Amino acid sequence: MSTQAGQDAKFFQRGKIQEFRAELQAAEVKDKKFIKRKTVLKKIVANITMGNDMSPLFHDVVPCLGTPLLEIKKMVYLFLVSYGKSKPNEIHLVIPRFLEDCNDRNPLIRALAIRTMSYIPIPVVTEALTEQLRHCLKDRDPYVRKTAAICVAKVYTADPRKAEKAGFVEMLRDLLVDPNATVVSNAVAALTEIGDRTDGVFFKLNLSIANKLLAAIGESSEWGQIYILDSLLRFVPERHSDAEMLAERVLIQLNHANSAVVLTAIKILLYLMNYMDNRRLIEHICKKMGPPLVTLLSSGPEVQYVALRNILLIIQRRPTVLRNDVKVFFCKYNDPIYVKLAKLEIMYRLAREENAKEVLAELQEYASEVDVDFVRKAVRSIGRLAIKVEPAADLCIKALLDLIETKVTYVVQEAVIVIKDIFRRYPGKYEGIIPTLCEHLDALDEPEAKAAMIWIVGQHADRMDNADDLLDDLVYTFLEEPVEVQLALLSASVKLFIYKSKSEKAKELVHRVLKWATEDIDNPDLRDRGFMYWRLLAINPGIAGEVVLAEKPAITTDSDRMDRGALDQLLLHTGTLGSIYHKNPETFIRNAAGRALTDTPALNPNSRAVLVQVARTQLPPTAVNIPGPGPNEPRSRKPEPPLPAKPAPPLPGEDGDAEEGGGGDEEENGDETEAVLRPVAVQGDDPYAGLDQLGALGGAGYSADNPKPKGDEDLLAF
Amino acid sequence: MAIDGLIVLDNAGRPIVQTSFQSTSPAYPLIHIDAYSNALAKVSRPEDVDPVLYVAGIDDTKRSACCHVGCGGLRLLCPVSGDIDPLFALAFLRTFIDILQEYLGHVSASTLRDNFDVVYQLLEETLDSGGHPLTTSTNALRDIVIPPSLLNKLLSVAGANISSLSAASSNPFASPIPWRKANVRYNSNEIYFDVVEELRAVVGRNGVSLSNDVLGKVDTNCKLSGTPDMLLTFTNSKVLTDCSFHPCVRLPRWSRDKALSFVPPDGHFILMEYRYSPSSSANPSTLGVHQVPVPVMVKPSVVINESGGTIDVTVTSRLTTRAIEDFSLELYLGQGAGAPNFMVSGGGSWAFDPRSLTLRWEMANMPASSSHSLRGSWSSSVPHPRPARAFRTKFAIQQHTFSALKIDQLRVSGEQYKPYKGVRGRSLVDIEWRW
Repeated sequence: MSTQAGQDAKFFQRGKIQEFRAELQAAEVKDKKFIKRKTVLKKIVANITMGNDMSPLFHDVVPCLGTPLLEIKKMVYLFLVSYGKSKPNEIHLVIPRFLEDCNDRNPLIRALAIRTMSYIPIPVVTEALTEQLRHCLKDRDPYVRKTAAICVAKVYTADPRKAEKAGFVEMLRDLLVDPNATVVSNAVAALTEIGDRTDGVFFKLNLSIANKLLAAIGESSEWGQIYILDSLLRFVPERHSDAEMLAERVLIQLNHANSAVVLTAIKILLYLMNYMDNRRLIEHICKKMGPPLVTLLSSGPEVQYVALRNILLIIQRRPTVLRNDVKVFFCKYNDPIYVKLAKLEIMYRLAREENAKEVLAELQEYASEVDVDFVRKAVRSIGRLAIKVEPAADLCIKALLDLIETKVTYVVQEAVIVIKDIFRRYPGKYEGIIPTLCEHLDALDEPEAKAAMIWIVGQHADRMDNADDLLDDLVYTFLEEPVEVQLALLSASVKLFIYKSKSEKAKELVHRVLKWATEDIDNPDLRDRGFMYWRLLAINPGIAGEVVLAEKPAITTDSDRMDRGALDQLLLHTGTLGSIYHKNPETFIRNAAGRALTDTPALNPNSRAVLVQVARTQLPPTAVNIPGPGPNEPRSRKPEPPLPAKPAPPLPGEDGDAEEGGGGDEEENGDETEAVLRPVAVQGDDPYAGLDQLGALGGAGYSADNPKPKGDEDLLAF
Repeated sequence: MAIDGLIVLDNAGRPIVQTSFQSTSPAYPLIHIDAYSNALAKVSRPEDVDPVLYVAGIDDTKRSACCHVGCGGLRLLCPVSGDIDPLFALAFLRTFIDILQEYLGHVSASTLRDNFDVVYQLLEETLDSGGHPLTTSTNALRDIVIPPSLLNKLLSVAGANISSLSAASSNPFASPIPWRKANVRYNSNEIYFDVVEELRAVVGRNGVSLSNDVLGKVDTNCKLSGTPDMLLTFTNSKVLTDCSFHPCVRLPRWSRDKALSFVPPDGHFILMEYRYSPSSSANPSTLGVHQVPVPVMVKPSVVINESGGTIDVTVTSRLTTRAIEDFSLELYLGQGAGAPNFMVSGGGSWAFDPRSLTLRWEMANMPASSSHSLRGSWSSSVPHPRPARAFRTKFAIQQHTFSALKIDQLRVSGEQYKPYKGVRGRSLVDIEWRW
């Protein structure tokens, strides 16, 4: 290769405009087979790719379009694509050439001409293109038709009203039944692009068109298949049987080699399942979806990542999928960190009594790895496992104690944080290990771990003889501690006093802390809480005890599940950016159209109950419905008034606790303080951040974590 | 459903080629290049960069994401701003890399620069400015973009106008089948199937596999004239699970009677990929009930002390008839590792890469049932070194497949000739062995 190297690389030298101009002029005479012209143009294109401005050569390059050689034409068109937009006053010079090429004998040239024109959104060009496009959409050559279809979307972007007036949308609709599959898929792509615009026409499919599109799938390229499959989201089943019939046809696409096709097919299946009634079919589909998802995990790490993030959503909505395949998600030592973290989350979701032992053994393995982030998550997952699967709690506690013995500081701290939650989940069961924890008190330097430890000491002060000494030590640095720790210290010392109100030491301690909190601290939360405790203790210590040591809401893992309605909505975006960040795309992507299930008689009652309505921002007054050829189907009835908002707001105190570990023992207002303290993570930094926020969207008790053997996950919901 | 464009960066993070980014501001691609290099600066291993980066953009309304994949020292970025499937972008990037490989042989910054005109044409033909993939099947692409070849270069130097001869085929896409060129002619009609299976396993400390997966693919090289319609059947098709197929395969036919009916593309392609699990007939969804036996036995012993550690590994082949080839065993020795001192017995050689801190033991050939060992020690500048918890071993076995997949027959209809058919099996193994 190196012998020829540099043959083309020399074109990358910074060329001079004048030099090229002179060369082009020289090429006008005695240019046998246009070799000279081709060489100059190549140099010019090389310079364009380097980002050098070649636009002054406009008047010299454009005449080359007359050369009857495809290669040269291509390069001139490349030039026009780059600079056409910036030459609104000169572009009319090219139009006759364009028109000539639009009627060339060679379909490649016809297509090239309209494609290039569509890239130049200047009124004169659009005008000329509109005229040509009408013929090209009916061209006898499929290559031209498929190019024309895409051009329509461009014209629509440049001038929606003109495109509608010219009847292009209807012409695209006719292309949906074109004999050539590529043309069909491009027409679908164009209609989708138009339909996604907030001012675009409403793109909807009826059953017969949906069926015709599915028939074209077999001969389409993989990209065409993706467009066609994706467009099926625009078909709203009115009858169960319609959804079932379509799903069965989509099912075979799961065997495709292209990962994007597979994931899009899964999205459609998940969508159609909302409109199905036949439980056995739903179960069958769920079973069929597992293996292709696993196959995606054998691809490159980037595909694995997207697949894993989607699997995480899918198994929450359809717990039967992959429920026996937890081993597939065991991490490999060489997996990139983002893959490992995503796998860890799924392992936790799939864990249940039957496989808890295996999962725990793996988690222990990960906790001894090198990567700090991963190790922390692994330790945390052991704690969450203990909370989620009661029979495994003993083993998990033992594993955590073993980890604490390693004395690796971040492991110890992480373990303390989760043990606090385990204490809350199983009160009175594991307090025997508190002395062991206390031995490692000095290792704790992170606020969260420290606060957790302080909570443990305060909560169990009645059972610890040396609680007052321990707290006395901890309080020593009160004024330097972060707010999170200060809050924990405040609550813990109040508890200590309530438990041991006879003890002078406890009395002196709580007095000291309350004084600091109310006099030396600027943080309003801390001061308010200090005053509150102080008054409470002053008025009636007995009642203070009832308040401070009140029964805590039990920690469950329910809270880190997403609300069903939100899940249904997110799953309509399976595979898309929304599913990666676990947020609805209209909240973070510009121009993203919100999606929601449409209510029809066929909609599954359970899905309807949690239906989330999305308002299409503003429908254009001239909305054109595209029912497609064939019998018109009844348009979907107007959206029903939104269902009353979910009655139960998420229980305070539940939200972050299981996953994040609360900061202290605070009751109600503890949560608010935390929200203030812990800034909401930007989704780019932590892909899991979105989970918590979504969890807060609503609090329907959808128990995805304990699928019943029957697999009737829908029945579980209510 | 459209991506915004494509940027190719060299290994220094500078753009080599990019699409024209019609609908966005000129700063848009730059923001994405920045986002990628910032993310790269934050991680210790380049492969740890999130494959879908969130890009905040100049102001709040211009948020987008950047999908990227690496290839031969290059990094291909694909900015997306609409809510599209990142897999769509990633799959496109992969496809584009495959096309480059097909056209340039070896993909690197220098081959890209040498053939920039071809690369640029390829970009134009595979991705329109609106971000819709156009033609990505190399069979059809060869009609519109001529692959660079020595002959082409020679002819153009000699002044012959090759493009007008071969390219501008006045009837592109004449073939009714998008993946197959029309009018292909060969003097001898041949088709070869390479069945390649890869065993990926994680083996626990007790020598029992924790996860164990065999992935297979049928790599096909087709040199057949005309438009042959093929029917391929297997004698034991039930060993195949989770199959995925090249678009040419008629899926309904497969789901009906497990026969592959297809009109093949011309040249190299992957006909199908599958997973093999021995328990497939009994319970397809449960993995690991019956596992594929791991063809080697590794007995590792690693002892770590204050300032280093010692390793003693013995590898024994469990194969009784075939040899193991290209054997390698790796272990990351942890931060601060150095002064390696090892000895191999039974063959092969060891090396220590001070950059990746990895110990590597290689053997070109390991006869059946033979046993080999590596022992020695290393020291570490960091007290209590934390080496990787698992050895990684890879090797190949020729003429062997785990599934024993057997082709029953291959029938060709639609053409007169009788093609020559060749079938070959090969296995690759990739095991993580914990100590």
